[in-house]
Amino acid sequence: VEFDLIILGGGLNGLGTARDAALRGLRVLVLEKGDLGGGASGSGSGWLRGGPRAFAAGAGPGDDPLAAGEAGVLEAIAPHLVSRVPFLRPFASRDEGDALASGAPRLGAEALAALEPGLSPGLLGALAHDDRAVDGPRLCVANARSARDHGAEVRPWTEAREVVRQDGRVVGVRWLDALTGESGLARAPAVLDATGAWAPGLARRNGLALRLRPGKGVHLVLAGRLTTHALAFGAVDGRALFLAPRGGETWLGATEGGFYGDPDDVEATQDEVAYLLEGAAALLPAVREARATRAVAGPRASRFEWGPGEEALSRGHALLDHAAEGAAGLLSLVGGQLSTARAQAEAATDAVLRALGRPAVACRTREVALPGGETPADAAALAAAHGIAPLVAARLVARQGALAGEVLRLADDDPRLGLLLCREEGILAAEVVHACRHELVRRLRDLRTRCRLAVGGCGGLDCARAAAQLAGRELGWDAERVRAELADLLEVGWRERRAVLDGAQLAQEELLRGAHWGVGR
Amino acid sequence: VTARRCDVLVVGGGLAGAVAALAARAAGREVVLVRSGPGATAWSGGAIGVAPDLDALPTDHLRDRRSPLESARRLAARRPDHPYARLGVAALEEALAFAGAELSAVLEPADGRPRFLAHVSGAVAECALCQRSQAAGDLRRLRGLAAVVGFSGHLGFDARLVASGLARRAAAGGPAVAAVEAAWCTAPGEGTLDPASLARLLEAPGRAEALGEAIRLVLPAGAAVALVPPVLGLDPAARVPERVAAAAGLPVAEVVSDPPSVPGLRLDAAILRRLLEAGVEVVHGALPPGGGPGKPVSVGGLELTAPAWVLATGRFLGGGVARRGLLCEPLLGLPVLASEGGAAGVRLAARPPLALTVRERKAAQPLLAAGVQVDATSRPLGEDGVPVHYRLFAAGALVGGHEHAADGTGLGVAILSGWLAGRGAAGLSGD
Repeated sequence: VEFDLIILGGGLNGLGTARDAALRGLRVLVLEKGDLGGGASGSGSGWLRGGPRAFAAGAGPGDDPLAAGEAGVLEAIAPHLVSRVPFLRPFASRDEGDALASGAPRLGAEALAALEPGLSPGLLGALAHDDRAVDGPRLCVANARSARDHGAEVRPWTEAREVVRQDGRVVGVRWLDALTGESGLARAPAVLDATGAWAPGLARRNGLALRLRPGKGVHLVLAGRLTTHALAFGAVDGRALFLAPRGGETWLGATEGGFYGDPDDVEATQDEVAYLLEGAAALLPAVREARATRAVAGPRASRFEWGPGEEALSRGHALLDHAAEGAAGLLSLVGGQLSTARAQAEAATDAVLRALGRPAVACRTREVALPGGETPADAAALAAAHGIAPLVAARLVARQGALAGEVLRLADDDPRLGLLLCREEGILAAEVVHACRHELVRRLRDLRTRCRLAVGGCGGLDCARAAAQLAGRELGWDAERVRAELADLLEVGWRERRAVLDGAQLAQEELLRGAHWGVGR
Repeated sequence: VTARRCDVLVVGGGLAGAVAALAARAAGREVVLVRSGPGATAWSGGAIGVAPDLDALPTDHLRDRRSPLESARRLAARRPDHPYARLGVAALEEALAFAGAELSAVLEPADGRPRFLAHVSGAVAECALCQRSQAAGDLRRLRGLAAVVGFSGHLGFDARLVASGLARRAAAGGPAVAAVEAAWCTAPGEGTLDPASLARLLEAPGRAEALGEAIRLVLPAGAAVALVPPVLGLDPAARVPERVAAAAGLPVAEVVSDPPSVPGLRLDAAILRRLLEAGVEVVHGALPPGGGPGKPVSVGGLELTAPAWVLATGRFLGGGVARRGLLCEPLLGLPVLASEGGAAGVRLAARPPLALTVRERKAAQPLLAAGVQVDATSRPLGEDGVPVHYRLFAAGALVGGHEHAADGTGLGVAILSGWLAGRGAAGLSGD
């Protein structure tokens, strides 16, 4: 098979570049060894304007004009995936307040207590900052779908085994389908490595050199919305952390540290969990009583620098050309951040066109809406028109935007698909079916990021088996495969919950293990 | 507040507490049972697993499988931490017969052989006792073609998935299977109801008959039994399985489901009814911490005093064991162990969750097997390894050493420990 460009890695760098290149008329293939957004893109904090870092001394919301501009672009092309997040950074002393960013508006102690009555006593006031958050995993899916709509071929669960070279030029990539065992050679004169944390390993296997600063980020998810605003605060060692309500949960994060282990095997440790909880409880005592439902860990990869600590590493991206190593046509897109991913993809596509010796074509990713972002969706109207609960419609719209109507029409045509798999997350059977048909789902666990299947506190008590059956019907799985997929889904969830099992979550775990006793036996 | 004295106070109204209360009652004691709400029994699949045959391969013929009692003996020999090892399995047969007789309104009499029931996931559940509504589906006894019947309007049950799972058992003596779909759940909204609502719907006059008729219309030739989703009514008095079977013209059996399952809720309801029938006074409420044999305790407007106590408060789900940073038994402060195995000086219960679990989900998880330790008469042991009180007993999931929800022995342990605790509390045990 002939392509113009083969992209390795289905994170936001890879999928964003695939979309951009496809929009500019290139024939593109994306190879991703796992699910879309399985690395840093799917496990980041999702802040578009710096999050807790926006309050750092000397920083200001206007400090990063690129990020500020990109936040606006993202809001225009995918409004449903971007939410406005008012941030507060409480401080306990004048010195602490003075040491923070000077430009941000300030609140007094009384105003702060009125806005967030649950905070520890003794706070002097807070800085305020208006941030935006994006749903990283869904942004990956939207980019993948858009890339495919414009002609790109996106293959999740397909590993790039070898970058094939001839006479100092790349000519293609040998791939292996992790699920079917099928393998082949895809040909293209240009290859972009966007595998993030996996890039050094891939480079090593191909006899190339690529150094990054590998890291690991951990977020803790607590049941319920503990605050109204996002809160930025310093941990015991001064690291900038945040606690923010999201959907029906509160996210607490993020630890960031060097990680020199296997990027395929990143899990939160007890010490990271305790560190986050202790840090947050000092500001918001209710955190101690909150029910931690899971710890989300993911790999990171920053540009290589010797010396700076994890927090001081540059979040900027870099494009590396491997021509000098006898691999002309091979580029690596490394580092970067979620908030500027579109611009990174634009730069990468420009570079690919140059490497291919093609004339420059104007980038269109600023103007063309991402799937679901074409028109605003009205959750209340959808709820009324399709006879579903307002909360279900709201959750669906937050994930699907304008495509929510497409999902609900499935249930109109087949009323059985109106089956509500999860009341909490508002997952309809129709959304599972829709994802299986249109969102590159190949495994049951992929539905965790497509529609938040089995990621809530219940761990998939009600929804997992029903979703496995539905996905099995759509994707032609036999009974054996359905059970294997269900076991795999539960396994992933278990690994996220292990480190936080306590209190009510233990009762839930007991229930869940009883419910799925037959799975995997 | 009314002062009330009784012979035996049972805390917890799941299967373990009920068997304890009924055993003490059968010995003529005056029994009060305090129950705070449905626990793990209500959340079970409703069939009573005693001990899976750990040595059996899926390909071994169902006819040759070991009896539940033999499997329990082998399990006890292999796992010294398991309640079967601590309590001994000598009384298991008698305890099972007692529980089966007491709950005969819903349970099919046992014959000592294991039963193999189809599970909604396509797996096969091995149990010692099953409900009457499940009995016709016993794969070991089934002769002829089993028709797995889905409902056309309902996606919650996948007949093809169940059938293809069962088909793999054919070589091991399982029946021939076929999946069919009956035209039911077709009224607007019905197909999206939860199982308990569907079960209640079927109790209404005419509805069970209509389902039976719909099943009859799609039965393949030679079908000997229809395996259906577990929604055949909550109240056995409504006789839903019998009515469906009569209209369908063949025996009908529920497959086992994951919770919340109708058979689990039905078992829980049957337990409550039997307790009242047998003259056990059931008090609804939660006991405050403290108390113990001979000490007065206030609950539900009563001040209760009993010389013998049975704690059957469950594990995490029931609230018998809790963890808030540390594992504890909240009611009386009994020591909780997590697989220490009695090793001197080893206190695992204080370790963090990652140290008490293993990465593989399906492996045994010490944290989820945490509970109190008991002697051979089911009396909980203190830190010193000596019973805390000679008339204080523990039963069911509160007793540690087994993962009651996931290792296939949970309800068997509930019956054995409940039986021993109830008889002990009634003063009938050896010492």
